[in-house]
Amino acid sequence: MASIELNSVSRIYGSGASAVHAVKGIDLKIEDGEFMIFLGPSGCGKSTTLRMIAGLEPVSGGDLLIDGARVNDVDPAERDLAIVFQNYALYPHMTVRANMAFGLKLRGLPRSEIDTRIADVARVLSVEPLLNRRPAQLSGGQRQRVALGRALVREPRAFLLDEPLSNLDAKLRSVMRTELVKLHRKLGTTMVHVTHDQVEAMTMGTRICIMRGGEIVQVGRPQEVYRNPADTFVAGFLATPPMNLFPGRLEARGDSLVLVAEGAEIPVPAATAPGWGGHAGREVIIGLRPEHLAEAPEGPAPAALQLSVETVEALGPETILNLRLGRNGPEIAARLPADGDWEAGQPVTLHADTARLHLFDPATTRSIPRGAAHAL
Amino acid sequence: MTAATPMEMRDRRFGWMLTAPGLALLAAVVLFPILWAGTTSFFDYTLIMPGYDNFAGFGNYAKAAGDGEFLHAAWITVLFVLAVVSIQFAIGLLVALMLNDTERGKGVYYLILLCPLLINPVVVGLMWRMILHPTLGIVNWLLSTVGIEPVNWLGAPDMAFWTVVLVDIWHQVSFMVVLLLAGLSSLPAEPYEAARVDGASALQRFWHITLPMMKPVIAITLLIRMIFAIKTYDIIYIMTRGGPGTATDLISYFIYRRAFVSLDLGEACAMAAMLLIVIAGMTALLWRTMRTAQDD
Ligand SMILES: Nc1ncnc2c1ncn2[C@@H]1O[C@H](COP(=O)(O)OP(=O)(O)O)[C@@H](O)[C@H]1O
Ligand SMILES: [Mg+2]
Repeated sequence: MASIELNSVSRIYGSGASAVHAVKGIDLKIEDGEFMIFLGPSGCGKSTTLRMIAGLEPVSGGDLLIDGARVNDVDPAERDLAIVFQNYALYPHMTVRANMAFGLKLRGLPRSEIDTRIADVARVLSVEPLLNRRPAQLSGGQRQRVALGRALVREPRAFLLDEPLSNLDAKLRSVMRTELVKLHRKLGTTMVHVTHDQVEAMTMGTRICIMRGGEIVQVGRPQEVYRNPADTFVAGFLATPPMNLFPGRLEARGDSLVLVAEGAEIPVPAATAPGWGGHAGREVIIGLRPEHLAEAPEGPAPAALQLSVETVEALGPETILNLRLGRNGPEIAARLPADGDWEAGQPVTLHADTARLHLFDPATTRSIPRGAAHAL
Repeated sequence: MTAATPMEMRDRRFGWMLTAPGLALLAAVVLFPILWAGTTSFFDYTLIMPGYDNFAGFGNYAKAAGDGEFLHAAWITVLFVLAVVSIQFAIGLLVALMLNDTERGKGVYYLILLCPLLINPVVVGLMWRMILHPTLGIVNWLLSTVGIEPVNWLGAPDMAFWTVVLVDIWHQVSFMVVLLLAGLSSLPAEPYEAARVDGASALQRFWHITLPMMKPVIAITLLIRMIFAIKTYDIIYIMTRGGPGTATDLISYFIYRRAFVSLDLGEACAMAAMLLIVIAGMTALLWRTMRTAQDD
């Protein structure tokens, strides 16, 4: 059980002109027992951060604390954390049993204790029949389980998982997602899980830490981040298809605010967004989630949009429409129930739920808060 | 296997046609001498009375097996191989481990290490004979400057053996370094990181990760070096001629003398055949080790 705290932690690879600033002074507190997700595109510094926590990568600046104690210079062996690597990193010359026993033997646990722990974990992960095999004789999914098992038997203070599911096929991945969440609920141990898959992020974590270019963009509970993305990057990263983002102007017309975009004018009752009043007359980026477009009006302040269908993706349970706003407006995705029949080229009217519209400042890409009345 | 189609037959014939010149050359320069020596080993064939008139059966083999000098040469060779290979392995592994952790100047170290390996063994022998010359050599002069008595490097029986061992180590140790280093640098990095997090110290990582993963490479390196060490001939010929006495009488040199000094070609061929069988056995072992290493 451990809390992990990063105080302006940075990591610079190399030096001089060729230095790579992989992590740029990030602040984060991971509470004891939390399931924290590091989410971000490839190369944003997720693995580097995780490896610094594990002690496999030196900290170039700032302080790293585990349970309140500074561990910048503490050997990985003494941090009592377990890590599951993306490529599993099993010991190729050892059997599955020996792989699991290795860390325990080094810690001098008695033989009987080691055997009990391995038996327990092997049962939970259903790897009992594999215990005497070598890693080379295992499938990808089995290796993944063994790597997880090797971490579990250690009963460490925290688990660090670096994209452990990314090498699995889609079906196994979704099974393992659930397994990991169950494990976390059962053990209550702190877990830090790195992924670039937003489905994993949304479904597994108690909190998501979204990173970009070595910096943290936003930290919050999955629903929080989904509902209130801090900037256009987060808005465009989470969920598939992601939030529609297109340029427009915010105008004040009497009592009402109107968003003027190429191909549409969207009225927004001023009372629903007191925070936006001050931005009237400015250029903005409009954010509208595909799931907040519907055939029938929804929410307290719907707005009808005239669109034409460009392509239809029938996924089964639902249909994704790629639409053109107005005649030459931006392209927009809509997520609709599967029971409609659409054809390319067909004009449609969809209703946007303006209470769930987002605005972003084009200069900073930061979200423009709606203000207090957002309690709709 | 199904019967070959006409096309496969044509492919096969074409393949044989392409390899025929090479095979013919190999047969002429490798297979023929071996067969000839093999045949000769069963006859009383001396260079004084060459001819295949007296069939001796396994007589030459029996004679060799009962020949004290031959057995002595074999024993000296075993000692030499053990000494040379074990010391070279210890040094080679140490240097390879250090080089594997070196970031800067690896190429330079490589170049320096490869120099001895590139020198012809005859040159190595001559060079060291001069360096170790009892009165004119630089080593004894250097020793004298710090007050150490001159050492008779190649003249004293016990000393001569170790001198030859040392020169061979100097000459061939890089071979070990290069092979072991290639093995080390091809080891995956991930198990080491996993082991560090699992709590293994540097020594434990070496013992539990490096050594087991290097096992096939180590086995192959040792076998290759042993096969070559058994055949050592050139530096003996140049430096000691098997002496003083028979202190450095390695088996290859002994066989050479039996053939061209004693002129008893039949017996020399029998000895050579026995040596060939030992080396062939080791080669088979090497082959099997490499095959199983691949399967792992
Ligand atoms: N050993 C290294 N040397 C130099 N640069 C590195 C090294 N490891 C990672 N980087 C760089 O640091 C950045 C972050 O890498 P990483 O943490 O692996 O990203 P992620 O895990 O989010 O995909 C990348 O730009 C990457 O190129
Ligand atoms: Mg990564």
